[in-house]
Amino acid sequence: MTLSLSVVLAVSALMFGLGVYGALTQRNAIRVLMCIELVLNSVNINLVAFSRYVGPDQALGQVFTVFVMTVAAAEAAVGLAIILMVARRKAHIDIDQINLLKW
Amino acid sequence: MAELAWLVPVLPLASFLFISLAGHTVKGDGDRIGVAAVGASLLLSLAILIDVIGGARVAADMVWAFFGSIQLRMGYQVDPFTATMLVMVTLISFLVHIYSLGYMHGDVRYKRYYAILSLFTASMLGLVLADNFLLLFIFWELIGLCSFLLIGHWYEKQDVGYAAMKAFLTTRVGDVGMFIGIMLIFFHARTFQFDGVAQAVAAGDFAGAALAVAAVLIFAGAIGKSAQFPLHVWLPDAMAGPTSVSALIHAATLVAAGVYLVARAYGIFAPSPTALTTVAWVGGITAIFAASIALVMEDIKKVLAYSTVSQLGFMMVALGVGGYTAGIFHLLTHAVFKALLFLASGSVIHGVDTQNMHEMGGLYKKMPITFWTWAIGSGALAGIYPLAGFWSKDEILLAAHEGGYTALFWILVIAAVFTAFYITRATILTFFGKPRDKKRFDRAHESPATMTVPLIVLAALAVVLGFANSPHTGWWFSHFVYFDHPHEAAASPFVLFWATASWVVGVGAAILVYGLGVISRRAVIDNLRPVWVLLKNKYYFDELYHLVFVRGTVAISRIVGWFDRVVIDGIVNLVGYGAAKLSRATGEFDLDVIDGAVNGIAVLVRSGGAVLRRLQTGYVQSYVLALFVTVVVGLLVFAFGG
Amino acid sequence: MTVTDWVFLAVAAVTLFSAYRVVVSRKIMHAALWLGLTFFGVAGIFLLLGADFLAAAQVLVYVGAVTTIIIFGIMLSTPEELRGPSSDAGSDADSPAAPTRRSFLPLLTAIGFAAVMVALVNRGEWPSPPGSVATDTPRLLGEALFTRFVIPFEVASVVLLVALVGAIALALKEESGQ
Repeated sequence: MTLSLSVVLAVSALMFGLGVYGALTQRNAIRVLMCIELVLNSVNINLVAFSRYVGPDQALGQVFTVFVMTVAAAEAAVGLAIILMVARRKAHIDIDQINLLKW
Repeated sequence: MAELAWLVPVLPLASFLFISLAGHTVKGDGDRIGVAAVGASLLLSLAILIDVIGGARVAADMVWAFFGSIQLRMGYQVDPFTATMLVMVTLISFLVHIYSLGYMHGDVRYKRYYAILSLFTASMLGLVLADNFLLLFIFWELIGLCSFLLIGHWYEKQDVGYAAMKAFLTTRVGDVGMFIGIMLIFFHARTFQFDGVAQAVAAGDFAGAALAVAAVLIFAGAIGKSAQFPLHVWLPDAMAGPTSVSALIHAATLVAAGVYLVARAYGIFAPSPTALTTVAWVGGITAIFAASIALVMEDIKKVLAYSTVSQLGFMMVALGVGGYTAGIFHLLTHAVFKALLFLASGSVIHGVDTQNMHEMGGLYKKMPITFWTWAIGSGALAGIYPLAGFWSKDEILLAAHEGGYTALFWILVIAAVFTAFYITRATILTFFGKPRDKKRFDRAHESPATMTVPLIVLAALAVVLGFANSPHTGWWFSHFVYFDHPHEAAASPFVLFWATASWVVGVGAAILVYGLGVISRRAVIDNLRPVWVLLKNKYYFDELYHLVFVRGTVAISRIVGWFDRVVIDGIVNLVGYGAAKLSRATGEFDLDVIDGAVNGIAVLVRSGGAVLRRLQTGYVQSYVLALFVTVVVGLLVFAFGG
Repeated sequence: MTVTDWVFLAVAAVTLFSAYRVVVSRKIMHAALWLGLTFFGVAGIFLLLGADFLAAAQVLVYVGAVTTIIIFGIMLSTPEELRGPSSDAGSDADSPAAPTRRSFLPLLTAIGFAAVMVALVNRGEWPSPPGSVATDTPRLLGEALFTRFVIPFEVASVVLLVALVGAIALALKEESGQ
């Protein structure tokens, strides 16, 4: 592959932007969760890209990607469990109606 | 053995984990496991102490984390000071563990009590072993947390919860200063290690005003933890916790952590006369001020609490005037006899079920062991020869005298008179005279062996411990724990006379007033009514703090709330109202052309107002949005700002 | 431009497009399926970047597990739960809800972020891709994970375990409560 690193990084940045936009605008909690997965994936692309271009013989970026994946899996599991709890209690998962964090 | 020092805190920590996770699976909720773990720690500490006396010194650490070129290290060190502290902490903790078997028997949260007691012991031992400021700070906060949890042990009672909160928040005030101080030290010395900082000071890299400021800030942490003036208010309230906790935490160990900190960081105090003078005077003011309040308290635990505050002041004076060994020695003896007094008072409270001394009286027949151990403890506190307190207090007075602090010397002498007076008063009110509450007196009984055995052990120690630093042993302790070089104070008949005179006068006056009734209490109170009222109300410190801080905070919140409601909302509404008016006027003027523009402005104003109003909406997405706006702005600044 | 480059660009385009569809799809099920495709695309990118082990892990973890969990979550919920009691009809201007929805700020933020990042990335000077790539990434990863990063690795395992237990506990508690 002869493409510049900046191309890969740009792809990652665009995907990050999409994820952020979705996370900010979706009403459905499950969809917010999906968009957060997008964000995490774009970060992974970044890490792997740097690993490939900067230190390919060490694979350090890939190690971090493994950790991000772990955390993302944990986050998906707990996040969905919380959403299911909320759904059972409030009979909906519209996060506009969930504002318990208010002072 | 000294290399195994890391095991000393690990054992209680393991017991904490076991009791909290699996305590309910064994008999007695794992209380015996806590006792065994701390007992093992005690044996280990004793072995370490013997090693250290034989000349062993250990320092071991490892890299904890890197931040660029900076590395954080964590490790432990064992020197004579640490070794003695280890033995002191494990010993008192062990005895309190045993005592609690009886004292807390059948308590609703027995398991939780033992778990936290173990955690506290582990944290305190970690604090003593830590070889750098950062690690010490972590354990410092941990013991604060345990103190909070144990003070609030009976949290169903509302004032108990408040007392726990008060203790936590008040010490937190000092901790903030301490943390800034630690950062300041790191900034100048480029390390958190105690020895590294000491080297930087010795090399002159860290000196002058910065050093003095850092030392005073560190001292702020000690003021909070050791309940020194003006942050002393939490300790008397902390007596809401179980008495066994008061003995361990609020007499012997946690409150001594402040003194320990100053002694451990003595390398940064010693070169700074300003810092030393601050320490000495804060200690001196605390000593006399708390002792005077203890004169009039009716609650037996409150007397002991103010006494503790006052005695910690004595230690601070010792450190401030250069009597390093004297301060540490008093820390040790005080830990023993004050823990003894607290445990004895707990035994009394256990028997009569009240803390008010005016409802006690004549108990010496009913509780002989408690009475005799208490008598030894109070004798040690008053400084009667040859009990432990005599030797250590004498050393402090001597240090103040030698250091040329004449005013402080006399303050301490008066405080010593007060000390002898209030403890004699408490003894007479509790154990002598006619029983003032028949019902309570009749049901009073001697406590079980689990409670009396620790009392006897501590009483024996209170008798012999003082000799460790006396002419009979050639001032052994002074040659064991010292700063820079051993310092042997020349005996001074002048100091000896006043030290003895102070307890004779104090004890004598108390016997005259309370024991024999030669001087009428009424008459004394009537003649000194304004003073009496002032002391009864503890110099109105709680009221002052309530007025300034609690009311102040509420008032500020009110103002901010009013500002938010009236000014911000007003502006938003006004702009909206103006825009609406304007749009109406222009709409009439030219409906078709300007309509769109006006609506645009209105929408803009509205969303602007919405943004302002919704800063605190509770919607997660608003917060995330704010976060990302900040990120984008920050990126823009970073990218194109220069 | 080699063939690999073109393949990369194609995969990246597919990934970005499906990510876009995740955000804009009207039906949540469609969004979930598009998400699966995005994950596949990311796996392809990993593969092209020489991270073959991660590509496999990506397929297993994300496509296999996360997407499945999400689809399960959707299918276990009733339509009312998913839509909410007040759908589009109830979202008036004076309802307190929808703090970010009608505002242009999220769009501006996302576009601004992406634009600034792309601009920054283009300005930077990057190392040219090294010709040789380590072919035994699983061995490299394994060595790194079990030597230098062994403590973070163990912590991550515990985090995962705790999360799983927590998720089960969260889901179970309600059942027994009823």
